[in-house]
Amino acid sequence: MSKETPATQVAKKDIVDVVAGKVRGFIERGELHLPPGYSPENALKSAWLKLQTTTDKSGKPVLSTCTPSSVANSLLDMIVQGLNPAKDQCYFIAYGTQLVCQRSYFGSMAVVKNVAGAKDVYADVVYKGDVFEYEIKGKQKQITKHTQKLENIDGKNIVAAYAVIEFEDRAAYTEIMTMAEIKQAWLQGQVYKEGGNSVHHKFAAEMAKKTVINRACKAFINSSNDSSLLIRAYNRAGETIAEAEMDQEIAEQANQDYIDIEAEIVDDPPEDENTKTEQNQPEKGQKGKMADPAQQTIVGPGF
Amino acid sequence: MEIRSFGSSSAGNAYLVTDGRSPLLLDCGLPVRELKQATSYQLSSLDGCLITHEHQDHARAAADLMRAGVDVYASRGTIEALSLTGHRLKVVRALEQVEISTWTVLPFDTVHDAAEPLGFLLAAGGEKLLYLTDSAYCRYRFRGLTHIMVECNYSKVILDRNVESGALPSAMKGRMLRTHMSLDRVLDFLAANDLSRVREIMLLHLSDGNSDAAGFKKAIQAATGRMVTVAEKGEKL
Repeated sequence: MSKETPATQVAKKDIVDVVAGKVRGFIERGELHLPPGYSPENALKSAWLKLQTTTDKSGKPVLSTCTPSSVANSLLDMIVQGLNPAKDQCYFIAYGTQLVCQRSYFGSMAVVKNVAGAKDVYADVVYKGDVFEYEIKGKQKQITKHTQKLENIDGKNIVAAYAVIEFEDRAAYTEIMTMAEIKQAWLQGQVYKEGGNSVHHKFAAEMAKKTVINRACKAFINSSNDSSLLIRAYNRAGETIAEAEMDQEIAEQANQDYIDIEAEIVDDPPEDENTKTEQNQPEKGQKGKMADPAQQTIVGPGF
Repeated sequence: MEIRSFGSSSAGNAYLVTDGRSPLLLDCGLPVRELKQATSYQLSSLDGCLITHEHQDHARAAADLMRAGVDVYASRGTIEALSLTGHRLKVVRALEQVEISTWTVLPFDTVHDAAEPLGFLLAAGGEKLLYLTDSAYCRYRFRGLTHIMVECNYSKVILDRNVESGALPSAMKGRMLRTHMSLDRVLDFLAANDLSRVREIMLLHLSDGNSDAAGFKKAIQAATGRMVTVAEKGEKL
């Protein structure tokens, strides 16, 4: 896939035309219902302008490093979710040669409102000392009481956060996360460290709300929307990122240290040090080629 | 060394290895009735069963084997996840070598969504076997292997095609990428190891619908120049 011609060498017209053509096909077949007032053409124009100046981690233009198919897919994901980069609802980010359309927190709320038909999405945090009660009916949680005193409000004393997605015609969808769960979600990212001084520490309440809103929107879209097209577009960025991270882990962790069975010494059974693990880091250069035949295992009696 | 596959899929994994003197079972993810049949009702002649992790397609018969008098070797995490108890249980730890009859076994940690999953390096009679299954990749490299049993679960190309067509839920794909070994990763693993003494490579645990047995065999054979077989139920290596 990395052997594909970079996107810059494919005319803008080609990529944008391919995407526009696919969108038309989805609409004609009734697979895609875009929100009223959303213009795929305008979103594509804004996106293409953004892409001209978007660079990857090493400062190279993404249109020269990412594959045309990943560029086309990211644009398609944007349209299927009814997002517009001009409204900061999404960003284009390169993971290796793969471009993804990453939704912002505004974007997640926009999808739930415009595409999934919610009336409102809001979140709040529960501080130590608040009165907070909820019921669980079937699989659904319902908040029955939340009262707060001003003196409870302290970013260091957040107990939980919740998000509610409200609808005109049916019961609200509620997601509640404890602070421990929220911190666990933050730890999955690169920025937050326990005891650090990131934006999560400075604006804990706002970040907690964003986290629980994202969780609520994701759970809601995946559980209740019957458009497989939307679900796929909604989840694709996360999957591409997870895949890129796994590739990175493998590049760093796979096929590293040599381990071997220590030869048995007759009449002198091994005691504590019965395992030989070679700690010296093997030369990275060896990876990916067949091992040197000179690197024979030292085999003991019986092997 | 002789290796037989009694089952090699998500429906159940179990292999019999013997150096001619001491037979061991590698995983026991089949109903004990089938294991009895497969061993010609000689379960009690087994010198032990090594279990990689607690998932039922690898550990189904663990309790039954212990009742039949077979020693079961597994990590503490695996044993706790299976809630096994009894004097037939032998706890093994990653990178701590153990002797089982004529075999010397070195367990090592693998990468899977289980409590404390292990792979095993086994040596007996001058031969050395690697048993590596249900692992996203292998952290280690090995010297002087003569037999390799390695999971070759899926092809990334086939997997992507199945997700695209809707045949495979994308969440399932994510799990497979994080917990099982693809053809490409097996090729990288083999390339990073010294295969000069390897006589046979057995591919294990091919995923239904996301693999291509003939294609995998050809690819591994072409890359290694070694004899390659794809484990099937009851197939003799």
